[in-house]
Amino acid sequence: MAASMLCRRTAMLCRTLKGLSCSKTVLFADSESGLLLQTASYNPKPLKLNIREPYIPDKDSEKTPEWQKTGRYDKKLFGRYGSASGIDPASLWPSHEKLDKLIAEEHEWHPPLEVMLKNIEAKEKVESEKRLAKEKLIAANMAKMPKMIADWRREKRDTKSKLKEEKTRRAKLLAEARQRFGYAVDPRSPKFLEMVAELETEEKKKKKLMKRRLKEEQAAAPITPPASL
Amino acid sequence: MSFPKKTGGKALSALQNLPRITLANLRPEPGAKKPKTLRGRGQHGGNRSGRGHKGERQRGTRPRLGFEGGQTPFYLAIPKYGYNEGHSRRPQYQPLSLKRLQYLIDLGRVDPTQPIDLTQLVNARGVTVQPLKRDYGVQLVEEGADIFAAKINIEVQRASEGVIAAIEKNGGVITTTFYDPISLGIVIKPVPFFLRGQPIPKRMLPGEHMVPYYRDAENRGYLADPEKIQQARLALAQKYGYILPDISKDELYHMLSMRKDVRQIFFGLSPGWVVSMPEKKILKPTDEKLLKYYSSYV
Repeated sequence: MAASMLCRRTAMLCRTLKGLSCSKTVLFADSESGLLLQTASYNPKPLKLNIREPYIPDKDSEKTPEWQKTGRYDKKLFGRYGSASGIDPASLWPSHEKLDKLIAEEHEWHPPLEVMLKNIEAKEKVESEKRLAKEKLIAANMAKMPKMIADWRREKRDTKSKLKEEKTRRAKLLAEARQRFGYAVDPRSPKFLEMVAELETEEKKKKKLMKRRLKEEQAAAPITPPASL
Repeated sequence: MSFPKKTGGKALSALQNLPRITLANLRPEPGAKKPKTLRGRGQHGGNRSGRGHKGERQRGTRPRLGFEGGQTPFYLAIPKYGYNEGHSRRPQYQPLSLKRLQYLIDLGRVDPTQPIDLTQLVNARGVTVQPLKRDYGVQLVEEGADIFAAKINIEVQRASEGVIAAIEKNGGVITTTFYDPISLGIVIKPVPFFLRGQPIPKRMLPGEHMVPYYRDAENRGYLADPEKIQQARLALAQKYGYILPDISKDELYHMLSMRKDVRQIFFGLSPGWVVSMPEKKILKPTDEKLLKYYSSYV
């Protein structure tokens, strides 16, 4: 094949050099330079069929292999030798029983396009529903997010301030104990704890008193406003 | 001063007088072939010939990839990553670049005045398709999209957006179609099939997971609505900034508008026909039931 292509090319070269126009013009030939592109073409392999002496196996002979007695091989013989093979062309197509089987198989395994489209649509619908539900959940949770963050920040601030208060109170108590006893007291010692309990009771009493006084004032206040009116 | 009358005259005369070039007098250029080093020859011939000392290295019997000497290998110990899930069952599409397609057209191996389908590409030795190795056809890839200049009507199995743009810019037409493995085997090797003396089968529809691709007008699928394809062509032209050539006024309009039927494997041959190569005949069925089966779209 390579040789034939080479021959063609040399022939074409000679033609172009002589200024002859080539019969086979190519679409994309460069018209300015006048150079024609080389056009090889597909040369199919010659079909070598021995039609003059066809081999047609004797079906009754025992020497013929089994596979040469099948219908498939008969078809092959027809394909190779045509009508010279002596095969009935009608046997090339499936018989009615075989066709019924083929149709049943196609019905079972190859659904028509409409059915497939319907299936795809249903599947897509389920998928999109699932996705939308998930998106909805995410959106709802995200809407809650700012409030949750604010809560968390407040809580954190509160604990921090509480801790700080506790610390200052303790320092204050320690300072007071030091003033009272004249030396630095261990905060775990019973002396210190006693003092703390004492101070607490005092404070409670003070609170109670304040409450009572406030109540009394409030009880007295409602009488006066109407007088002022 | 004397100028030579004809440039290249000597070469031409040599070409004309030399014996005809045949395979018999062709040989590689001197120095084009390097002789292979022969191992185990000469001074150190009885030694180890550069393969090291003993073992799998010397004997070339290394274990397979991923084998860890009998220990449970990593890919089995942690089989959690699904990157290669079903890799042995994935459809393969042999790549064909626009550069190579242009090369084939320039050499005349592919005829652009006729619709190009898988048969033409395989006959031109442009691609090799192996249906038994899960090949489902060819994909056009973008390499050489800038130099592509042919007006063609091509039918491939997959194509990217850039490829579609490059073909349509030149006034060409591209369609992506599906061939089931049996039809694919027939379409890439028609003659052996015809010699089998069997009727041409119907081309099957793609599976459910492939239908969306071939329904999509943006992929120029063969199951898509033609009107939508026209819209998609215009949209793509706008996106890539070229003016879409009007095909209907083209001199090659008939060729460019040729499409295969959804069930058709070859241009001009319907399912159910038998092609007899030795007699150059086409046999068509006449039985009602057969005709109904071969023309049905179910």
